Amino acid sequence: MQTNYVMIHDERRCTGCQSCSIACRSENKVPLTVFRLQVQIEGPHGAIPHLHYRYHRVSCQQCENSPCVSVCPTGASYVGDDGIVSVKQKLCVGCQYCLAACPYKVRFIHPETKAADKCNFCKDSRLEREGIPACVDICPMNALIFGDLNDPDSEVAKVLNTAITHKNNPHLGTKPRLYRIPTKRGGIHNG
Amino acid sequence: MDNIWGSMAQYDPLIWHWVIAVYLFLAGLSAGSILIGIGLRWTDKNIYNGDEETPILKAAALIAPLAICAGLGCLVLDLTKPFSFWIILIRYNFSSVMALGVIALLIYTPLAFGYALIVFRNELSCFPQLTPITKILMGFRKVLEIFLFGMAIVVGIYTGFLLSAMNSYPMLNTAVLPALFLFSALSAGSAANNLVSISFFHGRVEDDQSEAMHRLEFPVISLEILFLFLIFVGLYYQGGAAVEAIASLVTGVWATVFWVGVVLVGFGIPLLAMILPASVKHSRGLAIIVACCSLSGVLALRHFIIYAGQSYIS
Repeated sequence: MQTNYVMIHDERRCTGCQSCSIACRSENKVPLTVFRLQVQIEGPHGAIPHLHYRYHRVSCQQCENSPCVSVCPTGASYVGDDGIVSVKQKLCVGCQYCLAACPYKVRFIHPETKAADKCNFCKDSRLEREGIPACVDICPMNALIFGDLNDPDSEVAKVLNTAITHKNNPHLGTKPRLYRIPTKRGGIHNG
Repeated sequence: MDNIWGSMAQYDPLIWHWVIAVYLFLAGLSAGSILIGIGLRWTDKNIYNGDEETPILKAAALIAPLAICAGLGCLVLDLTKPFSFWIILIRYNFSSVMALGVIALLIYTPLAFGYALIVFRNELSCFPQLTPITKILMGFRKVLEIFLFGMAIVVGIYTGFLLSAMNSYPMLNTAVLPALFLFSALSAGSAANNLVSISFFHGRVEDDQSEAMHRLEFPVISLEILFLFLIFVGLYYQGGAAVEAIASLVTGVWATVFWVGVVLVGFGIPLLAMILPASVKHSRGLAIIVACCSLSGVLALRHFIIYAGQSYIS
């Protein structure tokens, strides 16, 4: 792999404003009924007066061991040289095996192309054009950090070397490349 | 979990619906009936004498190609891009159970049709254009039977591995599932063979082959019950999110489908029919009722596994 793109969601900075979700929809022309990206607002947690919400980015985890790629019968779901898990829309027949096999349930059938679709770090849109996914670019709180982990000087490499990070459902062995920095107010709950 | 912003409809873990359950049923039915038909032919000492095939074998040779075609029809219609189905026939990802299944089905289906040509050679003599093909196939009958038998096992098992390859659903992610599907395929196959041989091929309940088929029912149902028990015990010991899936046995509509459809109708009625006196047991009506119950039970089992299995996520 030439590059190893990873993303970090800093839940300490996130306010759940959904700019990322809307930027994604606009950039990738995602129809209104489906989501490539959502920040789910969970809570309130804690006891009065110390209530707080948790912000949980729900999008493709860009697994290193991606179940969606290994079950795809035609090879439409694939891992590129950049490490990004994506879908070749023309090869997809819509068997929905990948939707079923994804333990994070972040895939959907695109209402127009009828092919499986999901977040691919804006591989075909803003990443290609400007080198940065739309959600990272727009985030007003700088809660999203994106970069190449193979480059030791990148911001993601520095943050992952210093901050405490979590991944979703690590026991499934999928090795997600979407990291979470939990809020200071208690830990995070999976699922 | 409460969500404040945005629709959650997309995150429903239930992806595959009844069409896939029906496909799994039909593929199992096809494999099971031909396994029973060929198995009984191999073990029957009297069979090689006459030119006439037995009613059970005729039933099996008829069900196998028709059921698999109907099942494949379901599969194609369930695609979101049904007109692109040909892509799945030319592009293969060998780590995908579905791609391996496509290969198995591409071998199995023509073999099933070829075998039907052999078994129905007398009935099909009104189509003289088929005769040369049938003659060639007759020369390889034993080889064809062995391959068809082997591929039927592969098809029966593959439908289980298709589901158990996914670690997203704890109830499905177990190697017991393919075994359960293979044996419930035998249940469905023997019931359908019975039904079709009695209804269309003058089969009689007291025939040797029919009796032999009935002797299989008890061990097959016992193994199915054992495998179901193993799946749920496995979930219990797996711990974590898997334990929650055991609730599918007591909550929701699929619990009812399981206890009424699978256990009572699918296992209970055929088992009860076994202890009836021989005079009642050998009546045509009862045989048809029991066969219909077995088939309903297997169909209910496939629905339970598909719906309850996808309701719980790891």
